[in-house]
Amino acid sequence: MEDLILELKKEIIEVLNLEEITPEDIDSNAPLFGEGLGLDSIDALELIVLLEKNYGIKLENAAQGKEIFKSVSVMAEYIKNNRKK
Amino acid sequence: MAIYIQSISQISIQEPLCDNWFESPIYHRQRYVSSIEPNYKQYINPMSSRRMGRILKRAVTTSLNVLQGRKGNEIDAIITATGLGCIENTEKFLYSMLENNETLLTPTYFIQSTHNTISSQIALELKCNNYNSTYVHRGISFESALFDAFLQFKLNKITNALVGAHDEMTKDMFTLYDKIGYWKKGDICVETLRKSETLGSFSGEVAVSSFLSNEKNEDSICSLAGMNILHKPTKEKLEETLKRLLEENNLTLSDIDAVLVGHSGDKENDEVYSKTKENLFNDIPFVWYKHLFGESFSMSGLGFYIGATCLKKNIIPKHLVFDSPKEILNPKHILIYNHFQNSEHSFILLSKC
Repeated sequence: MEDLILELKKEIIEVLNLEEITPEDIDSNAPLFGEGLGLDSIDALELIVLLEKNYGIKLENAAQGKEIFKSVSVMAEYIKNNRKK
Repeated sequence: MAIYIQSISQISIQEPLCDNWFESPIYHRQRYVSSIEPNYKQYINPMSSRRMGRILKRAVTTSLNVLQGRKGNEIDAIITATGLGCIENTEKFLYSMLENNETLLTPTYFIQSTHNTISSQIALELKCNNYNSTYVHRGISFESALFDAFLQFKLNKITNALVGAHDEMTKDMFTLYDKIGYWKKGDICVETLRKSETLGSFSGEVAVSSFLSNEKNEDSICSLAGMNILHKPTKEKLEETLKRLLEENNLTLSDIDAVLVGHSGDKENDEVYSKTKENLFNDIPFVWYKHLFGESFSMSGLGFYIGATCLKKNIIPKHLVFDSPKEILNPKHILIYNHFQNSEHSFILLSKC
């Protein structure tokens, strides 16, 4: 699980082009949106594409994103249980 | 109503955000030269800049740079000129479409790939909801944007404006334009560009922002005394337009200290300037800048910056003087004469204030 969390942090940094942020700077349990990393709705779309492209997970319902993107830990847990690649 | 250039700033293939090129220009030898990037973090929050491509970072930075320390009212108009717009993001978006078989498209490159993204991104950074426009007219883009501001000043619709010229060049676009003869073959040197017998120039990039105002103060660099854009003018029409422009400013041709031209080393392009010199300007020295900055669709925006900088510094350095290697002291009036493919011609008259 720790490996997946680290991989996910690296991918988030890359796709969102989070300059000057390292995986160590991201608290696995901190909120991704609003507080914490302070991501916005465009970032949410980027994360939806990331899930599909890298893990084969297609979110059918946009409302699911609200739950799945709560934190890196929650995202990693969801990926572990639903990944198709 | 008079129009004054209050401040003007550039990011180009010379040292950025400064006038170091004036004393110590960099002479590039490559055909494809990218801008020298400044430290953007001094101007843009990394969380904002992370989505911006190179052209957006440059446009926002030069805009914030010219507005630094400014007091007074909000910006009445943001007007941008660009030939290719955010072409790098457009390419990234299209490549992503190809690679992913038109699926899994990410939004960022798409929403930041249009030409008017530049002007709107500047407005977002400045929180400016006023007039916002973008001119995409290849080699006459900058003149069109400036003319919009010029007319609005004259109609008393605006009291100030942020006018910019922004173009980036990607490797793919460079290759495409190379195929239609835009660039010279082999290394570049100034003497080759000065008296060229071949087509093409070398590729540069441009980001220029200028802040114009109807109020003269201690910061005013020079005035934008007048301007004209002409479509396929005859020799007579060009002469008549210039005469009228000078008369409107109580000047004669002998008052013009220098004519700043877009001589680029492209034989066909430069022949137009040579002919106009014979027909109109005679002994008035020609000044050039593309040997230092390269060629780009909105490069005449840099000509505007260079003319203003020469008036600010009271000298035209000898490395800019085309005809003879002699500096021009205390210039009072500089006429910028530009043409694009001998189709669109323009005059911009800058006067010391």
